[in-house]
Formats: sequence, C-alpha cells, structure tokens
Amino acid sequence: MGAPSLWGTALCERKLQLFSSSSSTCSFGRVTTCKQRLCTMAQAEKKGGLLRKSSASKKSLKEKVVLMYDEIFMTEDPSKCSPRFWEELFLMKVNLEYLEGKLESLDGEELVKIKDNINCLFQHCIQALGEEHPIRVVNALQTLCALIRGVHQKNKSTSGFDIINMLVGFDKAELCMKNLMESLDSLLCAEGSESLKSLCLKLLLCLVTVTDNISQNTILEYVMINSIFEAILQILSNPPSRREHGYDAVVLLALLVNYRKYESVNPYIVKLSIVDDEATLNGMGLVIAQALSEYNRQYKDKEEEHQSGFFSALTNMVGSMFIADADEKISVQTNEAILLALYEAVHLNRNFITVLAQSHPEMGLVTVPVSPVPTTPVTPLGTTPPSSDVISSAELPLDADVQTSNLLITFLKYSSIVMQDTKDEHRLHSGKLCLIILTCIAEDQYANAFLHDDNVNFRVNLHRMPMRHRKKAADRNLPCRPLVCAVLDLMVEFIVTHMMKEFPMDLYVRCIQIVHKLLCYQKKCRVRLHYTWRELWSALINLLKFLMSNETVLLAKHNIFTLALMVVNLFNMFITYGDTFLPTPSSYDELYYEIIRMHQNFDNLYSMVLRLSTNAGQWKEPASKVTHALVNIRAIINHFSPKIESYAAVNHIAQLSEDQVLEVVRSNYDTLTLKLQDGLDQYERYSEQHKEAAFFKELVRSISINVRRNLAFNTLSQEVLLKEFSTIS
Amino acid sequence: MGDAIVDAAPGTALDQSSGSVLQGNGGTPLSIIREGVGELAVIDPEVAKKACEEVLEKVKLMHGVSMDSMAKSDDSSGTESTPHTNLELANGEVGDGCEIKCLDDSPSTPSRIQEEDENTANTVKSARRRQKNNSAKQSWLLRLFESKLFDISMAISYLYNSKEPGVQAYIGNRLFCFRNEDVDFYLPQLLNMYIHMDEDVGDAIKPYIVHRCRQSINFSLQCALLLGAYSSDMHISTQRHSRGTKLRKLILSDELKPAHKKRELPSLSPAPDMGLSPSKRTHQRSKSDATVSISLSSNLKRTASNPKVESEDEEFSSSTESLDKSFCSPVRLAPEREFIKSLMAIGKRLATLPTKEQKTQRLISELSLLNHKLPARVWLPTAGFDHHVVRVPHTQAVVLNSKDKAPYLIYVEVLECENFDTTNVPARIPENRIRSTRSVENLPECGITHEQRASSFTTVPNYDNDDEAWSVDDIGELQVELPEMHTNSCDNISQFSVDSITSQESKEPVFIAAGDIRRRLSEQLAHTPTSFRRDPEDPSAVALKEPWQEKVRRIREGSPYGHLPNWRLLSVIVKCGDDLRQELLAFQVLKQLQSIWEQERVPLWIKPYKILVISADSGMIEPVVNAVSIHQVKKQSQLSLLDYFLQEHGNYTTEAFLTAQRNFVQSCAGYCLVCYLLQVKDRHNGNILLDADGHIIHIDFGFILSSSPRNLGFETSAFKLTTEFVDVMGGLDGDMFNYYKMLMLQGLIAARKHMDKVVQIVEIMQQGSQLPCFHGSSTIRNLKERFHMNMTEEQLQMLIDQMVDGSMRSITTKLYDGFQYLTNGIM
Repeated sequence: MGAPSLWGTALCERKLQLFSSSSSTCSFGRVTTCKQRLCTMAQAEKKGGLLRKSSASKKSLKEKVVLMYDEIFMTEDPSKCSPRFWEELFLMKVNLEYLEGKLESLDGEELVKIKDNINCLFQHCIQALGEEHPIRVVNALQTLCALIRGVHQKNKSTSGFDIINMLVGFDKAELCMKNLMESLDSLLCAEGSESLKSLCLKLLLCLVTVTDNISQNTILEYVMINSIFEAILQILSNPPSRREHGYDAVVLLALLVNYRKYESVNPYIVKLSIVDDEATLNGMGLVIAQALSEYNRQYKDKEEEHQSGFFSALTNMVGSMFIADADEKISVQTNEAILLALYEAVHLNRNFITVLAQSHPEMGLVTVPVSPVPTTPVTPLGTTPPSSDVISSAELPLDADVQTSNLLITFLKYSSIVMQDTKDEHRLHSGKLCLIILTCIAEDQYANAFLHDDNVNFRVNLHRMPMRHRKKAADRNLPCRPLVCAVLDLMVEFIVTHMMKEFPMDLYVRCIQIVHKLLCYQKKCRVRLHYTWRELWSALINLLKFLMSNETVLLAKHNIFTLALMVVNLFNMFITYGDTFLPTPSSYDELYYEIIRMHQNFDNLYSMVLRLSTNAGQWKEPASKVTHALVNIRAIINHFSPKIESYAAVNHIAQLSEDQVLEVVRSNYDTLTLKLQDGLDQYERYSEQHKEAAFFKELVRSISINVRRNLAFNTLSQEVLLKEFSTIS
Repeated sequence: MGDAIVDAAPGTALDQSSGSVLQGNGGTPLSIIREGVGELAVIDPEVAKKACEEVLEKVKLMHGVSMDSMAKSDDSSGTESTPHTNLELANGEVGDGCEIKCLDDSPSTPSRIQEEDENTANTVKSARRRQKNNSAKQSWLLRLFESKLFDISMAISYLYNSKEPGVQAYIGNRLFCFRNEDVDFYLPQLLNMYIHMDEDVGDAIKPYIVHRCRQSINFSLQCALLLGAYSSDMHISTQRHSRGTKLRKLILSDELKPAHKKRELPSLSPAPDMGLSPSKRTHQRSKSDATVSISLSSNLKRTASNPKVESEDEEFSSSTESLDKSFCSPVRLAPEREFIKSLMAIGKRLATLPTKEQKTQRLISELSLLNHKLPARVWLPTAGFDHHVVRVPHTQAVVLNSKDKAPYLIYVEVLECENFDTTNVPARIPENRIRSTRSVENLPECGITHEQRASSFTTVPNYDNDDEAWSVDDIGELQVELPEMHTNSCDNISQFSVDSITSQESKEPVFIAAGDIRRRLSEQLAHTPTSFRRDPEDPSAVALKEPWQEKVRRIREGSPYGHLPNWRLLSVIVKCGDDLRQELLAFQVLKQLQSIWEQERVPLWIKPYKILVISADSGMIEPVVNAVSIHQVKKQSQLSLLDYFLQEHGNYTTEAFLTAQRNFVQSCAGYCLVCYLLQVKDRHNGNILLDADGHIIHIDFGFILSSSPRNLGFETSAFKLTTEFVDVMGGLDGDMFNYYKMLMLQGLIAARKHMDKVVQIVEIMQQGSQLPCFHGSSTIRNLKERFHMNMTEEQLQMLIDQMVDGSMRSITTKLYDGFQYLTNGIM
C-alpha cells in the first residue's frame, strides 16, 4: 500500500470514528464493513476528507481506537471478525491513558484470561515496527510502552517470568524480543526521524525502569542477549543525534550497565569497558558535562536570585532566623542518573579518563546549531533532561568571558555544590557518588598526570558554603593552578564544613582517602605541588579536634579511630616523605610549626586513644593503632616544645612569633629521630564489588523510580508527528 | 590552463632571443652585457655602473633595429610553439641535461684561466678595449655566466641590474641549473622582482617558478604566500590585476600540481645535499662547456639538447597525467591553507582575551580541538624535511609575551616521510592509546629514572601489533570486575613504593633523622636551580627554559605517536597581526653574513631563525630552542648576567664556563656587527635571548635600517653593549674582550669583502616596498656606507674601537633599558 493511499485510510479512519460513535447502536461487524465501504469512498475523494476536531471532546463518544482496545480486552480474538484489525489499529492515534488505565483496572486473573490477546497485541506491535510508514511505527512504539507499563503496574507482586509470559508468551518470547530489539536497533541507527529515535529510547527506558529494582526485571535478559549497545554508541558519536538524544542514551546505558551487575556477566559492562572510540567517548563526556554544567548554572542562578538586592538580603537574614535551613531554597534537584553514568564510564572504561581532561570539544568549532526548526520535538516525550536546552542551543558560546572548561572542572564544581548539603538523602547519595568518582580519578595514573600537569592551569571556582565565621571568599582572585589544587581545595572545604552532629563518617573517610591517594601519587612521581598545605593541615587538625570533643556522641555510631588513624597517617606522610613532594624546605618547617602550634589536639588525642586502648573495650585495637601512629608527631612535640620554651626564656619573650618558632625548628632538626612507619604510601584500591554493592543497588533503584516518573509518552502530540511524517513520504 | 599558455610564449621568446643573440648579432649585444662583469668584480661599483650605462646607451642606438626584429620573431613563433616550450621549461630537463653532461666532462682549464683574468681586469678601460677585440671570442659575459664562479648570487644580481631582456631571459633559464636550496634562499628576491619589476624580468623568472611549483608542494605554498605578501604594498586596484596576483591565483588554483611523480625521485638523487662548492663547480663548468659548444654550432642548441627532452616529457606527462589525477586530491594546497588559517584564527581570537592566563587556557583548548582534525596532509613550512603533522601537544603550547598581539608558541609532532606527496597521511591514533603502554601503572614506578622509563616505553615497539594485545589486556582487566575472579583477586594490593618495601622487609624499626629529610628536601630543590618558576604573567619562560631534549622526551612519552621511529618534534611561533617581511629580510641578511663568515673562517656566531611570511600581517617563526630572553633570565634568577653564567655553567675556571664565555663573546661580536650593519633597534633585554650554551641571539627585527621605534632618539649607539655584557666577557681588560673586538674587526673585513651579496638582498627587496625599514631615500646608500669600503684595516680597527667605546658609554642604551623597564616592565 503506497503512502498516499495510506494517508487516505488514516483520514477515513477519523471519519469512521465520527460515524461509528454517532451510531452507537451499530455492531462491530457492521462498523467494519461500513468502514471498508467508506474507505473506498474516501479514497475516491481523498482531498475532500476533512475531519472535525470537536468530535473527540464529546465524552459520550468513544474513540474508535478505544473501541478497538475494548475489543482486545475481550477474550476472543479481535481479528476473527475483522481480519484487518491489527493493521487498522496502528493507524490510529494511541490512547495511552485508556490503555494503561484499562490494564491497571484488571486484576491478575482477568488479565490471564486475555493473555492471548495481549500477546497478540505485543507481537503485532513488534511487527508494526518494521512497517514502512512511520505513523504505524510511532503508534506501535507508544502502544508497547503502555502495554509494558500497564502490565507491570498490575502485577507488582508477580515474578518477572510471569510478566514475560503475560506480555509475549513463553513460547514466542525469545523470538519476539529478538525482533523487538532488532527493530529498535535499526530504528535507532537509521537515518530516520529524530522523534522516532527519541520514542525508541523512551521505550527502552520504559522497559528498563518498569521495576524498582532493575535486577529483578527479567525481561532485560533479552536486552542483554540482543545488545543495543552499538546503537547507543552511535547516537553518542554523532553530534546531531547526540544533541537530540544524548541524555536519554547515556541514562539508558548507565541503567543497563547496572542490570545484575554483581551476579552475572553483563555484556554492557564488558562492552563499555573496551570502548576506545574517541568520538563516542567524547560525545558521552559532553552529554555528561552539559547536564552537570546546566545544573551548576541553575544553581548559580538561584543563588544569585537569592542574594540579589539589599532587601532580599535582609529578608534572607530574617528568614534564616526562623527557618533552620534557608539554603534549602536554593537546592536544585540533583541528577544522579547522569552522575551514575559518569561513574560507570570512569570506573569501567579507562579510556574515558582522557575525556575528563578534554576541553569541551564543541567550543570553538563553528557549530551553528543545525537550525532546530521544529523546536517542540527536541524533547518531545521528555524525561525532562535538565540539559536539553543547553544541548540544543549553541554549545558554549565563543565568549571571551567564558572560561575554557573540561568535564573534570565541571564535575568538581558540581561536587562542590552537591557536597555542601548532605542532609537529604538524594544529596547524600550524590555527594557520596561524587567522592567515589573522585576516588577512582585519584587512583588513575593518567588522570593524576593531568591533574598534576604544571602546564595546564585552571581557575576553578568551587562553591563554598556561606558560614558565619568566614567571609564569602573573594574567589574571583583565585590563582590559576593545576587542577589537583582544586581537588584538594574541595576536600579541605568538605572537611571544614561537615563537622556536624549528623556526622557523615563515610564521606569523611572517602575524603581523606582521596587526599591520601593524591599524596601517594605525588610522592611516587616526585611532583612538588605549590599548594598551601597549611590549609589542609589545619583542617585535618580541626577534624581531630572535633572527633575528640564529640567522642561520646560519635562513638555510639561510628568507629572514629579509623578516621583518626587516617588523618594521623596523612601527617606521617608529610613528616617522613615530605622531602619527596613538598614544594620548599620552608613548607617542611611550617608543617612542624603547625604540629607544634596545635600540639594540644594531638596530646588530647593521644590520651584518649591511650585510655581506650588500655581499657579492654571494643575500641582497644583500633585505638592502639592510633597510639602507634602518633609516635612521630609526639616525638616532634616532645622534642621541640622544651626547645621553644627555653628559647623564649633565654630571650625573655613571652610570646614567640612564627618566625622565631620556625627559627628554633630549623636549628633543632638534627637532634630529632623519627621512626619510619610501614605502608604510609600504600592504599587499598577502590573496589565496587563488595563494599559498595548495597549503595549502588539503592542508588539505581532511586534513579529508576525517578526516570520512570519523568517518562511521559503522551506529551508528543499526534499533530507534530503527523506534520513531520506527512512530509516524509 | 589558459594562463599557462599565455605565459609560455615569453619562454619561447627567451630561448629564441638568447639563441639569436648568440648566433646572429655578431656578439655585440653580449659584449654590452660583458661590461657587467666589471661591475661585479670591481670593488667600487659606482664606476662600473657608469661604464655599463654608457655602453648600454650606445648599443641601444646601434642595435635598436635588430632588437625590434627579434621581438617580432618572438611574437610570430610564440603562439605556435607554445605547448612544446611550455613543457620543456616546466620539466627542468634543462637542468637535468646539464647535470648529465657535467658528469662526463673534463675540466676545461683554458677558459677558466681567462675568466679569472677577466675578473681581475676590471677597469673600464680594459673593458672597452676588449669590447673592440672580442669579435672572435663571442662574449665575455657569456663566458662569465658559464664559469664556475657564476653562482646564484650573481645570477640574481644580473637579473636585477641588467636591463637587457636577453640576459634576463638567459638567467631565467640558468636558474634551472642551480641547486634548489640555493635558489630557494633568493625566493623572496625573485618573487619581488617578478611582482614589481618590468615584464622582461617577470617573464624570465616565471618558467622557473612554475617548474618548481610543479615539483614541490612546499615551494608552491611559499610562492603563493610570498606573492600575496609582497603584492600587498601595491595599490589595491593595480594589485588585483598584477602579475603577482595572477601567478598566485594560478598556483592556488592547483593547476601546477605535480605533472609527474616518477620524475621527482631520480631528480632528487643526483643533487647532492651535502657540500656545496665541489659539486656545484663541476656542474657549472660542464654546463658552460656544453653551452659553449652549442653556441658555436648555434642552431644545434634546440635540436641537440632539448628535442629529446621534449619528446620524453610529452610521453611522461600524457602517461602519468591520469595517474596523478587519481593520486592527488583536487586542491592539494587546501588542507595546508586551512591549517594555517585555523592557526591564525586562533591567534586572532586570543588577541581579544584580556589576560595571559585566559589566553593560555583558550589556546590549549583551541589546540585540543585542532588535534581532532589531525593527522592531515599538512606540514610545517619551516621544517627542513618532508613530514606530516600528526598531533599538536596542546598542553605544551604557550602564549608569548606581547603587549597587544597574541603570538604563541606551539609544539608540533610530525612523522618524517620520504616524500610528502606520495606518502600516505598517517592513521590517527586516539589520544587514549598511550595508556596501553602505561598499563603497568600498578607497578611501582617511583624512583625510576628517565632512562628506565624511556626504555619501558620502547618495549612497545609497534603499535599495530599491539592492537590485539590491547583488547586482550582489556578483557583480562575486566575479569577482575567479574564475580568469580574477584573473590581472591590480588587487585587490592596497594601500590608499593620502593621505600615502603624496604621498610617492610626489615622487622627492626627503621629510624630516620628529621634533619636528613629536611636536608634532602633542600638539596633536591637546590639541584634544580635552572628551572624557572611558573609566572602567570610570563607563561613562556618556563616552557622555553626546559631543555629541548628533555621536552622532546617528555612529549614523546606522552604522545600516542611517540613510539614511531620517524616521530619528530618541531616548534613554531605563530604570529598574527605582525608583518614578518622585515624579519624575513633580516633572516636573509643574517644567513648571508653567516655564510660569508663561515667562508672567510671568522668564528662569529649568529643564529638566523627561519621565517615564514604568510601575509603582510601574519607569519610563523621557527623558535630558537634552548633559549630564553635576558629579561626572563634576570627576572627569574634575580641575578646579574655574570652571576647567572656562573650559576648555570660553573665557576670561572671550569671548562663549561669558559666554553660558555667564548660562545657568548663570539655571538656577541656577531650580533654587534649585525646590529650595526642593519641598524637593528628596539634592543631591550626582551629581544635578546640567551641560549643554554651561552650564546646570545637577537630576535625581533621589527626596527632595522631606516626605521626605529617611535623615533624617540634613544639607542643612538652603534649597537647594544652593556657593562653586564662586558662583565661576562671578563671585563674591559680581559683577553676575551680583546678577542671580542678582534672578532668584530675580522667580521667587518669579511663582510666588507662580500658587501654586494649583502646589499643586493636588501636592495631588491626595496623594490616596490612600503616597509618602514626602507623609509627615506638613502637606505641603501647608508647601508653601503656602513661597510666603509674606503677605509684601511687600521682605520677599521679604530672604527671598531670607537664604536665599542661609544656603545659602552652610551647613555642612551641605559636610558632605553630604563624606558623599557618603566613602560613594559622589561628588565
């Protein structure tokens, strides 16, 4: 059937709707015969066939398609009395609400009764995907979405296998699903309509997220066997398609990778880890960067809005007196899905690390955005990707004020925002994931090389939490430094700002680990970073102080000794290996100065761990480890304190200046002996498998729910599609 | 092709005219030309010039008729024989033919002796006498042209000075016999003559240019660029229709694509690249003999040597043409021009950014984008070998110090190849591929020296074979992720450093002295005093200070192409918004002086750096490696120049210091002479580099000859010689200072001897030029005067002493440095 005649049929269909709904007494059989007659009539007078829109608004009138749905929900085969039933079905606009609602209203047993028809519908949907005319394909895709969701909603309690049976039927499942995946694959790869591709991705996302726990979604087995990985990659590697669908593709990939990650061999994991095509990886990086930077931008806008003007500043002040967390207002919904994608890419694919360092590749290239003529179908059925507008609008303007950036910088800024507030669970998850990603980065050789590259300097404006005791830093004057400085700043910032009752122990541990890993790299490669280490030292000492002053509260929940041990060992790193990575001799002196200046904290810590390690309590062992680790710090304090006192006494100075103390330190090194401790520069490599499995399961669950919630199929108006496809043929 | 046909006609004319001159006119036209010999060899050119003009006048009167008839015959035969001659000229068979002959030619002593005779005899009188007597001897000028002494410099000089179309045409033909490199040096002169001088000169030059353009894509590019740049001084309306513009269009239109590839290879081999004089001499001698014999049996000329060539050529061109078409992309210069254009565009965009830092960042990211388009069929014209550009290590690029423009320095990774045109463009290796060689990243790598690390890199010799191993490697890695493998994987073993392993082995607690740690720290830092600190306001200082070899090694290590044996690193300064034509002129003069001093065995050291003029306001410069400006040295080290020398090279008595000092003196003397002769101004410390061996190198010849910066009246001294410089030389009474003055004297004497070679370069470029260095009418005269032809050696010595004295005492030098410090912060 040629396209024009098909068109004619479609119009004829609408006519029939009017006809059949007005004469409600007609039996189905009569309608269909009538329809056939009319059909030929319509073909004869194609042009005259105009439809009246108002028809659908009348409640009493049922759409033709609804009637057809009703037919499916009967027990007998709908095609029995009208052999062209399926053919006609996909010519009609899908009524998702009705279909889903109907499926939902049925209980399990009722559903079982019409299983054959549902199977039939499913199969025909798949068949229709191969059809020539896009309208049929669109309708089939939408029907599939509704079907999958509807059946799932109904059967939350039933097992996955039942769902497969219900949808496809066990006997045909394998072949059917294979066909489905192949059709989707070819639709995604073809030079076809963008809305169609978008719809395919939505269907896949729908399929992937129907269950809360992705690993229980047994239907995904078929997606594993019939991989659409290549299609996803193709979307990412091709700039125009990436612009349109990149976000969905990345989210889909991130979710697929998490299917039964720990139990079986997931081909998506295998494939993702060996991708080495630059264009694809860059495309993926770009999608992530854009989503993250869009978040950063939104946050900044809100923040500015929040702070602008004297009056608002005042009300803000007043408001903050009453509302505990005033900055709750500036929270923007975080995007864990994209963060998960970043994590999987960094964690699984070592080639992706280079993408982190890539300057935003679109920048500078003259990308006149390929005239987004129909602006509506860009995100027609949106999972409402927050980045969609950036992606479609010009990619980073050639503005002199816009600093060049890369994914890593964007990510660091994003992290600094997310980590400000870890109170609500989403943000805690996001913050944790950020730290995990940073952990992976800090372990990677290439990433480290880039982070420490003295030639590549950036000015990274991290977001700092406004706090009472410090001014909003004049961060415009930040020096341009290697990126690792920004990472360290971020860690220091975190350490300083999260000493609270709800102590995020886990995040602190990760934070210290990241610093440790960076130091190990610097020691190993003899990188002398010009960083103000003093900030880190004082932050660490303050952390120890906090741990001790809240000992009783914290000990009830956490093993604070592991954290204390890590902090002390960071100091030991500096003390014993400082010569390999400190920038100047005087920075070594400063380290001693800082330790001596804050000796009270170390003394207190020592007495605390000594107390607990002598008591035969549950903390005996971890506490005694800390006592051992403190040996050098104590040696330093014990060595220099009397010397400083005597210097003060001899020179009759009550309060020694910093320079004087440093002078004493410098002249008394030689009589101090330190103990070399084991394994200071060793660390446990990050492994997701055991420790993080639970976290990721939970994370994926929340992402799934979120994605599903945002998926909306019916937003795509039939008119837009009709408009688009009427011109194609 | 229409253009080519039209232009070929003069080619025939040239051949015929020279032929007819030789046979028909009883040698008189040639005898006129012969007078030029006097001009060349005579030390005082003025006299010779006068004589020459006199004779020229006469002959014009006498032979006006015959000239006319000659021109007529040109016109009539020109259209007919166009295709043949076109091929003949374009294929360089003339040159090949003479080379072949030179091989089986025995030295012809008698003629040589006579030539030398003639060179010494240079008074107008003797020339006149000979003119009368030479009816039998044909032509002295021709003899000169065919003599071994006749080199490219003379050829250019005659081309420029001679008003005789026959001579010009002959020289145009002779260009084919010179080595490509020799002619290349005078390319700016040739093209400037082509653009700005009369028809005849242009017609004489064009065939050669066209021929060379067909041979080499690089030559085509250079020609096109220079033609554009040197035409730009013309008025816009005349420019559009000028010869230069037409030729440029022809080259860019790609009609001069290589006519034959097979030919190129053999033609390369007979021209030896090494020593210049021996091969050249035999070559020319043979040529002269050949032409002498031809000129005797006049009519044979075309039939004896050329017809064979022609027929061969026709065959070749017809048979290979189809091949070529398939070989070559439609517009072969397009990628390169695109490459240059994008580099310039980057420069333009950088100029809009306010701070150095932003510029640097922007530069890096722009280059990383450029990288995505590489490798491509592009090359760096400043390099001396055929290659393809494969990658720009973008993180290494730096913005150079400049107030309002944004010149920047990039490093460029290239793969050397035998022939640019025939070698395929290397395949792209993704950036991340380098990681395959780093897959040992879990291993302790800490204390490993550079050599060790380098050797670990060479263990991955061939990338192609690596391909499979790499994917296998990946799967292996991956399995760690999978559950079965993971349970007792050793992946969790942390990174051991050498230090901690040793500490683990011994059960006894290891004690270390805090003092040792502190001492090691200060020692290690003291060990690297030569590295500069990073300064956001002067990002190039650190980059330039890093020893070149070190940089090459480092970049090679980080490059996905680094493992390839033909990998090379080049660097280039991209200048956008600067006119480099003066720089090019300075380069030529420096190069000429360098070769003069080499020839005369004066150990003066100068470093001409290559210039690529892209247009009248853009270009590229080959950076001097291992060199930083004295300003940077002083600012970074906070030491006096002498103390810096001591720090860098060791104490007074060490070998290293003495060598560096000698280098300093030799280069200083060289550049003092250059500065004096060329009147190089704007000599602040930012424009004087100091290299790792102690040489100084002057850069930035923006103010030379008749131009000086804003004419403030500073820098009145002959050259810049500060007390700091003298201190490095060991003070006023030291031996080295005397050596310095002696070198200057020797250098000046040597330069004086070859003054014409130097002046000629400048003089030709003055033609049609609006460059500030030619401002005023007396530029050339003043230049000549600075060679002090009329002084005795004693007088010269006095002059040198005076100049040195004056420069040392010069208040204006100090003032200028102070002025620079105040206005530009240059120390």
